[in-house]
Amino acid sequence: MDTTISRRAAIRVAWALPVGLAMPAIARAQAGTTITVHYAQPFIYKDSYDAILAEFAKREPSIKVNTVTTPNYEEGAQLILRQAATNQLPDLSYQGFNRLRIFAERGIAQDLAPLLRTEGEPVKAGYSPNLLALGQFGGIQAGLAYAASNPICYYNAGLVKRAGGDPDNFPRDWDGVLALAAKIDTLGDGTDGLWYTWNGDDWMFSALLFGHGGRMLNADETDVGFAGPEGLASLKLIERMVKQAGMPNLTAAAARQAFAAGKLGMIFQTTALVRGTVSGVGQNFELRTTGMPVIDAEKGRLPTGGAAGMLCAKDPAKREAAWKFLRFSTGPEGQAMMVKNTGYLPCNQIAIDDPQYLGQFYRENPLFVPSVKQIPISIPWYAFPGSNSVRVTQTMVDNLARIVESRATPEEVQKDMATEVRRLLPRKS
Amino acid sequence: MSDLAIAAPHRRAAGTGEAMAAWALTLPAAIAYLLMLLLPTLATAALAFTDYELGLDGFRWIGLGNFAEMLEDRGFLQSLRNTLVYVGLVTPGSIIGALLLALAIEAGTRGRTLFRAVFFLPVVSLSVAMAAAWQYLLHPTIGPLNAALRVIGIEGPAWLSSSDTVLLSLAAIGIWENLGFNLVLFLAGLTAIPRELYAAAAVDGVPSAWERFRLVTWPLLGPTTLFVLTITMIRSVRVFDTVVVLTQGGPNKASQVLLYTLYEEGFTYFRIGYSAAITLVFLGIVLASMWLQTKVLDKRVHYA
Repeated sequence: MDTTISRRAAIRVAWALPVGLAMPAIARAQAGTTITVHYAQPFIYKDSYDAILAEFAKREPSIKVNTVTTPNYEEGAQLILRQAATNQLPDLSYQGFNRLRIFAERGIAQDLAPLLRTEGEPVKAGYSPNLLALGQFGGIQAGLAYAASNPICYYNAGLVKRAGGDPDNFPRDWDGVLALAAKIDTLGDGTDGLWYTWNGDDWMFSALLFGHGGRMLNADETDVGFAGPEGLASLKLIERMVKQAGMPNLTAAAARQAFAAGKLGMIFQTTALVRGTVSGVGQNFELRTTGMPVIDAEKGRLPTGGAAGMLCAKDPAKREAAWKFLRFSTGPEGQAMMVKNTGYLPCNQIAIDDPQYLGQFYRENPLFVPSVKQIPISIPWYAFPGSNSVRVTQTMVDNLARIVESRATPEEVQKDMATEVRRLLPRKS
Repeated sequence: MSDLAIAAPHRRAAGTGEAMAAWALTLPAAIAYLLMLLLPTLATAALAFTDYELGLDGFRWIGLGNFAEMLEDRGFLQSLRNTLVYVGLVTPGSIIGALLLALAIEAGTRGRTLFRAVFFLPVVSLSVAMAAAWQYLLHPTIGPLNAALRVIGIEGPAWLSSSDTVLLSLAAIGIWENLGFNLVLFLAGLTAIPRELYAAAAVDGVPSAWERFRLVTWPLLGPTTLFVLTITMIRSVRVFDTVVVLTQGGPNKASQVLLYTLYEEGFTYFRIGYSAAITLVFLGIVLASMWLQTKVLDKRVHYA
C-alpha cells in the first residue's frame, strides 16, 4: 500500500513539476499575443507599416506583430490562397481592393461588420459608408480600406507652355486636353502629347466608363454594363487619344520613363505614383498634377484603387489582437502615418476632415491635393464575380490594345469585349 | 562438392551485401529524386485531369477536359504559336551566329580570351536585370536605338509595345542571351578537332576555306552541334523572364509564350488544374525534342 501511494505521489510530483515550471510560460503567452500580418508592395508601403508598427507597439505592448511581405498584390493573393489550403493563414492580410472579392467568395475573409457593430456607430470612428463600401464584397464587410487612390493627370508644365497652353489653367474636359496634347505632339524631337494607362488592368478604363456614368456589369450582375452608349463613348475616347492626340503605343514602364525624361506632355495614372514620379522627374522640368478631365459633371464617378486589411485569424486571442491592429492602422492616426509615408489617400473620414492630422501635409505637398478633391466622386474598384474575376480584366485590356494599335474600330471592340466577358461571367441558375 | 556447397552461399551473401551497399549509397540521391522530382511531376500529371482551383475546397476529376479546353483557348493557342516562332528564330540565330563567331575567334591570332569573355557575359548576367537595360535601349522615344535611327531619318517602331515587332525584339534578346553560351561550346568543339585532318586535307588538295569547313570542320563538329541544338531549343522553349519584365504577354497576347500562359493561368487566375495541363504539354514538347535529337540525329553525327 505504502509503496503504491508513494509511487502515485511521485508520479503526481513528476507531472506537477514541469506543469509548475511551465505555468509562468502559459501566463506569459496569455498576456502577450503574437500575430502575423501580411502586406504587399513593401517598396511602396514599408515605411507606412513601420511607422504604424512602432506606434502600435507603444500602445499595445502585450501584442507582438510579425510581418510577412510579398513583392506585389498578385503574389500576396497567391500566398493567402496557398496558405488557406494548408491552414497556415496569417492573422491579418492587406490585399488589393479588386482581389478582396475572391477571398470573400471563397470564405477566407471574415465578416467585419459584427466586430464593427460591437464598437458602436462606425461613422463615429471615421468609417463613413462610402469608405466602408470599398471593402464590401460577396455580401460581407470583407475588409477595411487601408490605402486608397484614384486616377489623376500629371503634366509637364514646360511642354504645356511651349505648346501655347497655360499651365495654371489646365483644360478641364477631354476636348481641351486632347487639343492641347495634339499641340504638344507637334513639338518634335520625339515629344509625345499624352499617354493614358489603358494597359495593366481595367482600372483606368473603368475611370472613363464611370466618368460617363456607366457600369461594368448591370445591377444584378447578370450581364455586361459596358455594351451601351457609355461604354462606346469610353472606347471612342481612347481612339481619339490615338488618332487626334497621337498617343504613342507604349508599355506603362516605357511611358513613365518617357514622362520622367520630359518627352511626354501628360500622363494619366494613379495618384499612388506621385511620390515615385517626383523622384523620377527630379529637376528635369516642373511637374504638376490635376484632376481627371470631367466627362459628366452629374453622373461621372472615378474608381478607387488601393488596399484593405482582411481578418483571417480564427484563434480568439489572435483574432482580437489582429482586429486591434487593423483598427489602429485604419484609424485617424494610423491613416495620417500611412498618407505621409506613401502618398495614398486616407481611408478614415476623421483623418480627411480634421486638419490636425493631415492639413499641414497637404499644404506642403500640393501634388497630392487633386486626388483628395476627387474623393467625393470616388466609388469602389469594380471586381467581377466568380472565379474568372481577374481574367475578365485581362480580356478587356487585350481588346483595348486593338484600338490603341488601330486594328479595330471602337464598335467592333465593344462587341467582341462584351461577347468575351459574357462567356467569363458565372452562370446564374 | 562440400567446397562448392560452402562457397556458394558465401558468394551470394557477398553479392547481396554489395547490392545492399550500392542501394544504401544511392539512397540519398534516390530519395531526393523521388521527393523533389518524381512525386511533384506525378502530382502535376494528376492535377492536369482535375478542375482544381487555388483557394476552393476540393476538386472534380474532369478527364481530358483541360486538354479539350486548350484546343479552343485563344490564349493558349496563341502562346503555343508564339513559342514556336520564338524557338524558330532564336535557335538558328544563336547557333549560326555562335558558329560564325567561334570560327572567326579561332582563326584570329589575338584576343581570344577577351572575345570569349565579352560574348559570354550575357550568360552570366541576370536576365531580369538585363531586361531592364533592354527596355531602355529599345524605348520608342528616349531609347538610343530609335534615337540613332532618327539621325538617319527613320522613325523606328515601338519595339516592345507594337504587336508587329514585339516577338522579333524578344527573339533578338534571346539570341543575344544564348549566343555566348553556344560560342563557348563551339570553341571547345573546334579545339578538339585534330590538326592532322586539316593537314591531310591540304595534302589532298582541298582548295578553299569553305571546302575545308564543309569537309572537315562541320562533320567533326557534329556532336557539339547536336548538343548545342538540344540545349538551345530547350533554353528557348523556356523563355519567361524577359516576357514578364518587358511585355507581360502584350499587346493583345502578341508576346504570350507557353511558360507565361502557364504562370498566368496558375498564379494569376488560380486555375491550378488547367495550368498543370499546360505544364504537361510543355513537358511533352521538351521530351519529344530531346528524344528526336538523341534518337534520330545522334546516329548521324558520330564518326568514331
